[in-house]
Amino acid sequence: MSIEIPVDKWPGTVNTVTLGATEADGGTRAKVVTIGGEQSLPFMHFETEMPHSPVIALEMTPSRTDDWSQILLDAWGDVVEDPARWAAAIEAAGADVIVVTFGLTDPAGDPITPDYAVSTVKAVLEASGLPLVVLGPGQADVDNELIVPVADSTKGERLVLGLCEDGNYRTIVASAMANDHLVVGRTPMDVNLAKQLNILMTDMGLPLDRIVMDPTTGGLGYGIEYGYSVMERLRLAALQGDAMTQLPMLVTPGYEAWRTKEAKVGEGVPETWGDWADRGVHWETLTAVSLVEAGADVVVLRHPESLKRVREAIDELMTAAPA
Amino acid sequence: MYIIGENIHILSDAVKAALRDRDAGFFQKLAVSQVEAGAQALDLNLGPRKKDWEELFPWMVKTVEAAVDVPLCLDSTNLNGIEAGLKVITKAQPIINSTSAEEERLEQVPLVAKKYNAKLIALTMGKAGIPVSADERVTIAIEKLIPRMLEIDFPVSDLIIDPLVLTVSGCQEYAPELIEAVRTLQVVWDPPPAISVGLSNVSNAVPDEGRPLINRVYCAMLMGVGMNMMIADPLDDEQNDVVRIIEERDESTPVGKLYLAISDAAANMEELSIDDVDMGDPEQADIWKTVQVLQNNVIYAESYLQQ
Repeated sequence: MSIEIPVDKWPGTVNTVTLGATEADGGTRAKVVTIGGEQSLPFMHFETEMPHSPVIALEMTPSRTDDWSQILLDAWGDVVEDPARWAAAIEAAGADVIVVTFGLTDPAGDPITPDYAVSTVKAVLEASGLPLVVLGPGQADVDNELIVPVADSTKGERLVLGLCEDGNYRTIVASAMANDHLVVGRTPMDVNLAKQLNILMTDMGLPLDRIVMDPTTGGLGYGIEYGYSVMERLRLAALQGDAMTQLPMLVTPGYEAWRTKEAKVGEGVPETWGDWADRGVHWETLTAVSLVEAGADVVVLRHPESLKRVREAIDELMTAAPA
Repeated sequence: MYIIGENIHILSDAVKAALRDRDAGFFQKLAVSQVEAGAQALDLNLGPRKKDWEELFPWMVKTVEAAVDVPLCLDSTNLNGIEAGLKVITKAQPIINSTSAEEERLEQVPLVAKKYNAKLIALTMGKAGIPVSADERVTIAIEKLIPRMLEIDFPVSDLIIDPLVLTVSGCQEYAPELIEAVRTLQVVWDPPPAISVGLSNVSNAVPDEGRPLINRVYCAMLMGVGMNMMIADPLDDEQNDVVRIIEERDESTPVGKLYLAISDAAANMEELSIDDVDMGDPEQADIWKTVQVLQNNVIYAESYLQQ
């Protein structure tokens, strides 16, 4: 019996965005990463070719790692004490992009300073040839205080700067515009707010090919279905031609998965939950792969083993089934 | 268009203050101004008033009836309060707002409506909340609401079904479904029950300056599918003008023509064509964008008109 598979033809296309710049383009990156360009829902290769594979970023923090799971710290070892070495290890692990997330303090526990942020980002740029995403701690005044000097001192690198949020996007967008960088805008799992922030950011004159959006997600078992639905809805709108939703999506399954009890806690949980380290990696991998299916263009992970597994899944999904 | 004036509403700060002070003059003025602007009934949304319902509902009915003659629509979840108000009605046949299809409400509220010869607004909402799809809402009307009226011998001609307008800011997928529900509800029973909607709910949580346009455009779409009763702001002149344009088929202005085209497209189960719009006219362009949002073609955002 032959089955006819319905083929959708969508009028809209997701924006193509390039992260990082090589020397020829005014930066210092050894390689750049291009995302977006989809004209169909994820992996519907029989409809249109997916021009760019979803990419995997690994996250590091040059701040205190108190809230990172011991499993993650064990996996990375002592490189977590040195941002440059951590960045090099991330590149060696096979990531496409490095995400540098600052907290509110430096490793010694003192309030973070713009000088520390600048020197750290420069050290990371030295240590690795990958494109960077640089995020502040998510507190408006500190974000601005850190991100502006980072943007100024790395002009032309096409870093992705954040976090741009509803109440705090102007300063970061302006410094990105002035220094040839990109931005990431984050909204709390709401299609209307996601679109609104995109309108506001582009209204300032930042071109659409320099913005990615983080619609926020939840970890497996902790609201991932809401995150999934929001991403799906945004992507459907994008394919239907709504320009202010046609931004590639970056999501943080690593952060979300590793703050769930299942991944974070090794003691006082039922024995049937199995090996802690294994469970954490499973949690992160399953969260990330689900979000790739929802249309994520960049998944930000934390564990190098999860990267391998998610990579394998993406590679398989990118291989078109034989006709 | 039969407009049930919505302006005596507990969510308004002025109404809250006037209630606290039992300021009869405030309510009488607000009643008269709504009726003068064309309201054919007045909604009195007082909230549950758990503490002072016994005194407040009759006071409000007497206060408003002293100023106007139109039917009063007692809008509360407090059935005791509603009953206290109904007891002192002396003028027009009142309306109860509302029952839902929830078992307990549907058991009690229609009996009170029957006892006091009141009309009854019934929401297409069951225990599980408000269904998204038009079909499910219509099903609630046919399987729950109307059978209950027949069961207690309440005239279907006194039943007003409210298929529930939800805000485009957050519940956008409901907007086109509601239109279909209004269309279908008119053919599900003979004689058809009246249908009323709370129009301005469509723009709840939308910034104030953006609300009237969304209300007007939605009104035109709903009129296209036969809506002829709504709980709305009768003092909104531009909205009244849209109602008039569609009722009189007034094609004398380009914008009026566009509102007629919107209404006709809804009537014909079509989407408005961009050929009907002069996109060079900013007002028409805004109306077009609003139609796209209300049809759930384009995601709503506060600044959707800037897009």
